[in-house]
Amino acid sequence: MELVVEHLRACYDDVVAVDDVSLRVETGQVVAIVGPNGCGKSTLLRAIARLHRPARGRVLLDGEDLWSLRPKEAARRVALLPQSPQAPEAMTVADLVRFGRHPHQGLFQQWSQEDARAVQAALELTGTTELAHRRLDQLSGGQRQRGWLAMVLAQETPVILLDEPISMLDLGHQVEVLCLIRELAAKSGRMILMVLHDLTAAARFADVLVAMRDGRLVAAGPPREIVSPELVRELYDVEADVLPAPGCGAPVVVAHQRRLAALLASRAPG
Amino acid sequence: MNPAHQPSHVLGSAVTPTLAQPDRPAGAPPGTRVLRAGSLSVLVPLRAVLVAVAAGLALAAAVVWSAAVGSFALSPWEAARAMVGQGTPTAVLLIQKIRLPRIVAGMLAGAALGLAGCLTQTISRNRLATPNTLGVNEGAALAILAVVLATGNSLGPWWVGPLGGLAVALALLLISGGPGTRSYRFLVVGIALAALIDAHINLVLAQEHITTATAVFAWTVGSLAGRGYLVALPVAVALAFLLPLVLLVGRPLSVLQLGEEVAASLGVPVRRVQVAVMLLAVTLAGLAVGIGGPIAFIAMAAPILASRLSEPTRVPLILSGILGALLVVVADTLGRVVAGPVEVPVGVVASILGGPFLLWVLFRETSARGF
Repeated sequence: MELVVEHLRACYDDVVAVDDVSLRVETGQVVAIVGPNGCGKSTLLRAIARLHRPARGRVLLDGEDLWSLRPKEAARRVALLPQSPQAPEAMTVADLVRFGRHPHQGLFQQWSQEDARAVQAALELTGTTELAHRRLDQLSGGQRQRGWLAMVLAQETPVILLDEPISMLDLGHQVEVLCLIRELAAKSGRMILMVLHDLTAAARFADVLVAMRDGRLVAAGPPREIVSPELVRELYDVEADVLPAPGCGAPVVVAHQRRLAALLASRAPG
Repeated sequence: MNPAHQPSHVLGSAVTPTLAQPDRPAGAPPGTRVLRAGSLSVLVPLRAVLVAVAAGLALAAAVVWSAAVGSFALSPWEAARAMVGQGTPTAVLLIQKIRLPRIVAGMLAGAALGLAGCLTQTISRNRLATPNTLGVNEGAALAILAVVLATGNSLGPWWVGPLGGLAVALALLLISGGPGTRSYRFLVVGIALAALIDAHINLVLAQEHITTATAVFAWTVGSLAGRGYLVALPVAVALAFLLPLVLLVGRPLSVLQLGEEVAASLGVPVRRVQVAVMLLAVTLAGLAVGIGGPIAFIAMAAPILASRLSEPTRVPLILSGILGALLVVVADTLGRVVAGPVEVPVGVVASILGGPFLLWVLFRETSARGF
């Protein structure tokens, strides 16, 4: 399948948050959207997820305009995991994952064999089968995030959108979740678009980087081709070295101290 | 991708086949049974059904108790027999013409308040957001009071309460910008509106002659004195129409517990559901106020108790209604009997019992979270 974003423009009142962004994503790809705070990356994700109506442009999945669909039809095509989702206390992982089946159910189609299979598959894919009957509020951050990913997977959509899926996690859990995301894209034939803050992690785990600033697309492509000192400067106004990671060769961004030194100097007394 | 980075449990789960649980061959969620007919299926939550039946029995017991006690006391058995027209003529007259109509009116008011409270608490994801704290009850009370004082009738038409509640709800939505994303703001604006309207009610009463004011005062704090089938009937009819709608929003409402963004991405038309829920809650609360005035705490306590007794994934609408009815019947009966010949209005009893209840809820929740 193919997701195409065409000349998308999204505004908040008078402020243009996303301006003329076009993208093309295919099944199996992991796309990371990066850029400074307020660059419009989350708004772009929200426009694809039908949470924010674009002022102009279209979002097409295999030629079908997502914004022309009814809510449940769209929810069978695109799933979104927001930044810090909240569940009622005392809910278990299995309870949560079953909610992922909602777009496939109806008032009198409340539970099918298909639902049972999808929930079990989602638990297995995310390694949460053993956690299924544990309460969400008693899990570690990484375990809880895997539970939410399982809910999104149970939705069985070709497109999965993740808004900063690792922002609340420590390094160990970040790697755990990012590895899982990679594996899901490869194994279950989904396309995954995620907003990430960490450029190095994005370069390490995504097939395609989409770099944005001030609502515009700055660069898009495989991390090794587009991550450069120039790109880092253009996105964040930071001087940095870009080194190949030992082993896999993914670009690693190391910021210079110059900005820090200048900042400290300006704060020095007298 | 470097396999050394891969967490071992991901690998482990990929190779370990998961066995289907033998006690649930159809893969039904735990604690439920699936009823199937062709491609149709309905999940029956066993625990919810059991708890609702138990609450219904408790309500029946409360009704019998309430009918039995009072200045002319009967045994529960005599009271139950008198309800179906057996026993001494005095007992039958007392139960069928005086006590039972009031109990039925109280049950309907309580059920409507319990349902309304469950609806508002769920869409604003805040236990404190009830028709009472949001000013909806007060708006309904002020509207009814205005009509009563203008016409000199002791009752307004049944639709005045819902209209008054609706006016407040509209003001609330316009000022606060909706229940979900800014639930704190929604609640604070509601509390401000409630206080403002409460002051208005007192102002209106203060301008009335003392005898009129005294007659109406008990009702403005919530009272079932002298209430019966006359006020209960239109509410019963309205409830019969509203109940299927309430059950219809139950499913999307349970998904909304995960937040507006997740619910929207699961295919719930969030705005439409929120508007429908607010309309239903306001109508129910307005109808309840038409019967017994703005009885405090019922709309808050019934859903809290109901969710304690049911599974975390469900929005316990039915149970909130049953428990609301139970609480009002119990509170009204206590008000009739505790102070002897003097009657304490049900609203006052509910407030006296509601204060400690709220503290209990707060302490329980903070100790459960460990801070």
